[in-house]
Amino acid sequence: MHWLQHLSRHCLLLLACLSALTLAIPQEERVSNFFGRHTGTSGHTNNWAVLVCASRYWFNYRHMANALGMYRTVKRLGIPDSNIILMLADDTACNARNQFPGSVYAKAGRHLDLYGDNIEVDYRGYEVTVENFIRLLTGRVDPSVPRSKRLLTDDRSNIFVYMTGHGGNEFLKFQDNEEISAFDIADAFEQMWQKKRYNEILFMIDTCQANTMYSQFYSPNILATGSSEIGENSYSHENDNDIGVSVIDSYTHFVLEFMEGINKTSQVSMQDLFSSYDPVKIRSHPGVRSDLFQRPLESALITDFFGGVSQAEIFPVIEDADTTTQHIIRVSSPDHVVPPDPVSPQAHNGQDFDKANATAVMPQKDAVALDVRWRDIRKWTSIVIVGFLVGWVSLVR
Amino acid sequence: MESPLFLPTLAACRLLLAWVQLPVLDGLQLDHQLTSPLTSYFRLKEGLWLYHHGVDPYLGGVLKHSPLFLSLFSTVSPGRVAWALSDIVGAWALVRIWHSRQQLGQSRRDGLVGAAYLLNPYILLPSLASSTSTFENAVVLLTLMFAAEGRPSPALLALALSIHLSLSTSLLLVPVLMLLVTSPTSRLASPRPFGGSYWMVFKYASEFVVYWSVLVCAASIMAGGVWNWMHESWGASLILPDLTPNPGLWWYFFTEMFDHFRPFFLMVFSTHLAIYIMPVCIKFQHDALYAAFLLLGILGTFKPYLTLADPGLFLSMFAVFPEIYPYLRHAVVTALLHAHASLLLPLFHALWVIEGRGNANFYYAASLVMGVAGGAGIVDACFAGMRIAIGNGSEAERGKWEVVQQ
Amino acid sequence: MSLIPIASLSQGTYIDENALQPAQVNTYWNWQDVHRADQYLYHLEGLRDRNSTSEERAQFIRNELANLGLRAATQNYTFTASSGLLSGVNAYAIMASPRTPSSEAMVISATWRSEVGKEPYNLRGISIVLALAAFLKNYSLWAKDIIFVIGDGYLDGMQAWLNAYHGTIPPNLETSLLEYTSGVIWTALNIDYSGHSFSHLGVFFEGLNGRLPNQDLINSVRLISHYTGGVPFIVYDHLEPNDFPDRWQTTSILANAPDFIRQSPQLQDFEYRAKNIVRHINYQARGKPSGAHGLYHKFRIDAITLFAVPATGPHGFLALGRIVESALRTTNNLLERLHASFFFYLFTSPGTFMKIGKFLPSAVLVSAAMMISGLGDWVNAGWLHEAVTENDREEAAAGGPSSKIQGKKMVRWRMRRRPLLRPIFTVLGTHVMGLLAFNLMRSPIFVENHLAASLLLFGALTILPFVFASLPDRTPEVAPFSLLLKSFNLCLASIVISTTSLLNFSLAAILAITLAVPLMYSSCSRSSPPRIVSLAKYVTYSFLAWGWLFLRDEVKQAIWNWEVLGIWFAPFICIVYGPLVTQAGVVSLQP
Repeated sequence: MHWLQHLSRHCLLLLACLSALTLAIPQEERVSNFFGRHTGTSGHTNNWAVLVCASRYWFNYRHMANALGMYRTVKRLGIPDSNIILMLADDTACNARNQFPGSVYAKAGRHLDLYGDNIEVDYRGYEVTVENFIRLLTGRVDPSVPRSKRLLTDDRSNIFVYMTGHGGNEFLKFQDNEEISAFDIADAFEQMWQKKRYNEILFMIDTCQANTMYSQFYSPNILATGSSEIGENSYSHENDNDIGVSVIDSYTHFVLEFMEGINKTSQVSMQDLFSSYDPVKIRSHPGVRSDLFQRPLESALITDFFGGVSQAEIFPVIEDADTTTQHIIRVSSPDHVVPPDPVSPQAHNGQDFDKANATAVMPQKDAVALDVRWRDIRKWTSIVIVGFLVGWVSLVR
Repeated sequence: MESPLFLPTLAACRLLLAWVQLPVLDGLQLDHQLTSPLTSYFRLKEGLWLYHHGVDPYLGGVLKHSPLFLSLFSTVSPGRVAWALSDIVGAWALVRIWHSRQQLGQSRRDGLVGAAYLLNPYILLPSLASSTSTFENAVVLLTLMFAAEGRPSPALLALALSIHLSLSTSLLLVPVLMLLVTSPTSRLASPRPFGGSYWMVFKYASEFVVYWSVLVCAASIMAGGVWNWMHESWGASLILPDLTPNPGLWWYFFTEMFDHFRPFFLMVFSTHLAIYIMPVCIKFQHDALYAAFLLLGILGTFKPYLTLADPGLFLSMFAVFPEIYPYLRHAVVTALLHAHASLLLPLFHALWVIEGRGNANFYYAASLVMGVAGGAGIVDACFAGMRIAIGNGSEAERGKWEVVQQ
Repeated sequence: MSLIPIASLSQGTYIDENALQPAQVNTYWNWQDVHRADQYLYHLEGLRDRNSTSEERAQFIRNELANLGLRAATQNYTFTASSGLLSGVNAYAIMASPRTPSSEAMVISATWRSEVGKEPYNLRGISIVLALAAFLKNYSLWAKDIIFVIGDGYLDGMQAWLNAYHGTIPPNLETSLLEYTSGVIWTALNIDYSGHSFSHLGVFFEGLNGRLPNQDLINSVRLISHYTGGVPFIVYDHLEPNDFPDRWQTTSILANAPDFIRQSPQLQDFEYRAKNIVRHINYQARGKPSGAHGLYHKFRIDAITLFAVPATGPHGFLALGRIVESALRTTNNLLERLHASFFFYLFTSPGTFMKIGKFLPSAVLVSAAMMISGLGDWVNAGWLHEAVTENDREEAAAGGPSSKIQGKKMVRWRMRRRPLLRPIFTVLGTHVMGLLAFNLMRSPIFVENHLAASLLLFGALTILPFVFASLPDRTPEVAPFSLLLKSFNLCLASIVISTTSLLNFSLAAILAITLAVPLMYSSCSRSSPPRIVSLAKYVTYSFLAWGWLFLRDEVKQAIWNWEVLGIWFAPFICIVYGPLVTQAGVVSLQP
């Protein structure tokens, strides 16, 4: 107990020193520090991954395998399940055509089951829609949406966005039903930037004409890469003859292969990944877009996006306290000004109930008889009116 | 055909047909060429069932008929005799129209005119399929008959009823009013400006409005509300909620269309129908019956929810205007187009819906042929109606207009 | 039309449906299963040699299937046709899909008899179906039920089974509803393996009334046959020219031609493709299915027959089993029915086909030509063309009828009346006559004394039209009857050809040939021939229209096809084709 108290005291001291230090730094320098944080290291404090497989049906097995392959990699490199949003448009593992129920493999020979026993699919089946994806990114979700389906990022989050499916020039199909366009994603990223929902984004996409998908981006700090140029198809890598379908796409296969050599402490940079692209082996020309990204690719580590960081950032205490109290006052004030009135709607309901009870109390038979009589009256009135009209017309000359 | 007994015999045969049970008939009732959602007997029966069980029949979007059909068939059980009688009434009305156009009591062509209606396959088949278009056609013919005989009140009531039953018939409003104040005899050969009094037209129009509103009241009482049935039955021909294929031109456009263009094109298509009223009525102001005939042709081609009964009415009415026959330029082409269309429509329908070999485009192609056939008929009739005014009088006069081939 | 076999007009086949994924699986059918098939074959040969009844055979098959743990049953049926009764017993079994509800199914079938090969019994086909049932049961990856059907007879058994399965039992079929049923059948493979071994796998695809299965199915099986089975894939049992150069040389119709023609690859290829198309037209135009698969098409099931082309080797149960296993894996992948308008095609060779846009114009052009010439006749009928002599000139000028001076000669066109009733009655009359004739042909009396009856009928059909061809009407004011009738006749024939061309191209092509020439030249151009000549011409036409009545077997077969299988060929010929040619004959009778 004693040493613990000591420790806490030391910590407080340290904090005080730090805050004193930061306060001592002139304003200008702080500003430049803030905006210049992308020149050197990433400056992020947490990592997130959004992995989307946008196509369903058994013959698109490989897209599910792509996304699951990425899932396994980011999880291995340290992003926890709570920070991974996995969207799978279909459940191939449980498809009746799957010879190996409950398993998804990404390689012929089936050595590694990607589905395994520890997997969390956040959006599945028909939940994988364009709307849900954009809501997820921009954070405009319904209050009832659970935590596991939200992207709870801040301005110090590095996000890895991976998409795969069937696409074309500036669009990606979702479930053979709707499309997301390059503009939609670009606008969603801009909104995220304005809402301070990210620090840096790595956007990776494996589909036909994938490079068109990031052509419309205009928000800062986005590094994008895709599997094929405009007018070029992305091909599947190999086929497992027992499963009977292609199990993985070429581009994703080689990216994953590269990732197998990386561990949490690797100092391998994004540039190394991009240099490893071999258009001959991949059978398409992968592209990279780094003009929005403000760091040199050599200094951007793979683990900046694929790994989970455990760094912390410390804010000065005083400023913080100030804003929070203000916040509390601002938020709480409307509650007092306009108190909710829970009584009136209940009263209404009560009245309605009384009415309903009154009608229900009436004997069933009578109600039916009345109803039938009323219908007959309606019928005969209409007939009499028409008959009267006909009679009138035939009499008038 | 010229014997006075011919027509009664034909009518008796038609009545007999109502008692004969043919195995084909059940299939006919579901045929998309013969019944549309607006005229389908099945939907009417469904509506009656709902009505008898105390459910608002207009709630489910199934029933698109007028409530007056409900009140009629909930009192009279809908037997096939009703359809046969309706056909006979239609034929009778057509013969009466012919009489008043020729200003004579009996003629040798009576049999032919009646047969043109009763034996027209486009009229007979929908009637056998228990499509309510049979009643609509009969009411239209009654309207024209009363108008031609100069009995304004019945004519206006029948017109109100036919517009009530099928909103598209409102195209006939203007020519019927014109017909009431002029004579039905053929003036095609001697055109002259409209001679009726506008005051009378106004008077009749207001009388029509009265009848029509009383019918709407009756219908609303029957349906137990105003908005529901109007939206379901009249709204159907304006906003096209049901895209069941038919031989008309509308459904395919609206299946292919993006939703945000729909309102605009619905407006265009509906206006397109109405656009014809004025030109036709002005051009044929000397012969309002002929104008009505042409407008029926337009309806029989461009109507929403077209069934074969609509072009059938137009084709049958050709029998009333023998004076234009020599001036029809391509009657055979029109006939061949109709022959093609009536073979292709069921074939392509089967190919698409039953066999699954074809797709909607096949059937649409067939319905385009139908559209072309209808268009050819209208253009020809229109041309003949105008050409007759030039006449071929004496041989000398004729020489002037001769086309000489070398 | 003769251009169709040219290679460059066809295009390569491709797979349109993504889901199929043909030839991408390992197959596990091996010698053990072949051995099982051999054992079944041994038993079946015993049944055949003992001349066992249908009942015994079906019972044996049912028991074997039931022993495998499948739901198996038999079905008795009796067809009543004008040529007699036909009965038999089918056996079938249903293997339920292990992990999906039984809402969809695929069928593997074999019929007891085979008509393509030399062997009359399809014993090996049945053995392999039984062995497949035992083998496929061990897999859990079937997303659809698999139904194994062994049909009795050649076509009748399968027809009875399909009708019972779909609950559409016609009045002339006596059978019970099936004991077990499954879901909607999407695809079916029919196996015809009657020989001992086989060298090639042939595909038969024509169905009832000229319906064709979706091309994707054929293309997939072709790929599977090549890559999984290693068996060359051909259309029908026509070997490709370069497969067996020696044999080709002897069977070719160019066998006696000089060497340079005989060995020209282009000509060989042309002949090969032409042979395929002629075979195709022969099946399709008659509406005859080229195998039991054709009966499925009526129920919207895509089906083909795989025919093991008999040879001394090298393939047997092993290759066929693998191909069927892989084909089933492929059709198992289907998520929806095959569609994409892949139903209209001409297979010129296994790897190439013609799209509808390429072959349709050949028939439609003929039809259009007939239509135009019919309309031309109509116009001609309306105008009288008279060369007016010099003497009439004064009169013409004074009277003022349409006249024009053109050099010395004057040509006068005069409108004339076109009485419609008589030609319309003639047209209707001949078609009604055809209908009556067709009904007569179905009566048992006709079947029993064919020759006498057909002579009588032919005579009646020849003489009756004279009613319509009454005295000539030579008044210049009225258009000649023959011209009007000819115009009607041509227009009608044109409509018939153009509407059939999409439903059944082969029939339309045949009609285009057989109708166009006689109908176009039915009336002689200017001078009226002597009576004898026109009579002779009429008799020729009559033979053209009804001469086939004398072909006893053809008629019997066509009637049977109509009664049992519902093939429209016989009624079509009687009610449409015959009357059309008769009308042309009536035209030729008129001076």
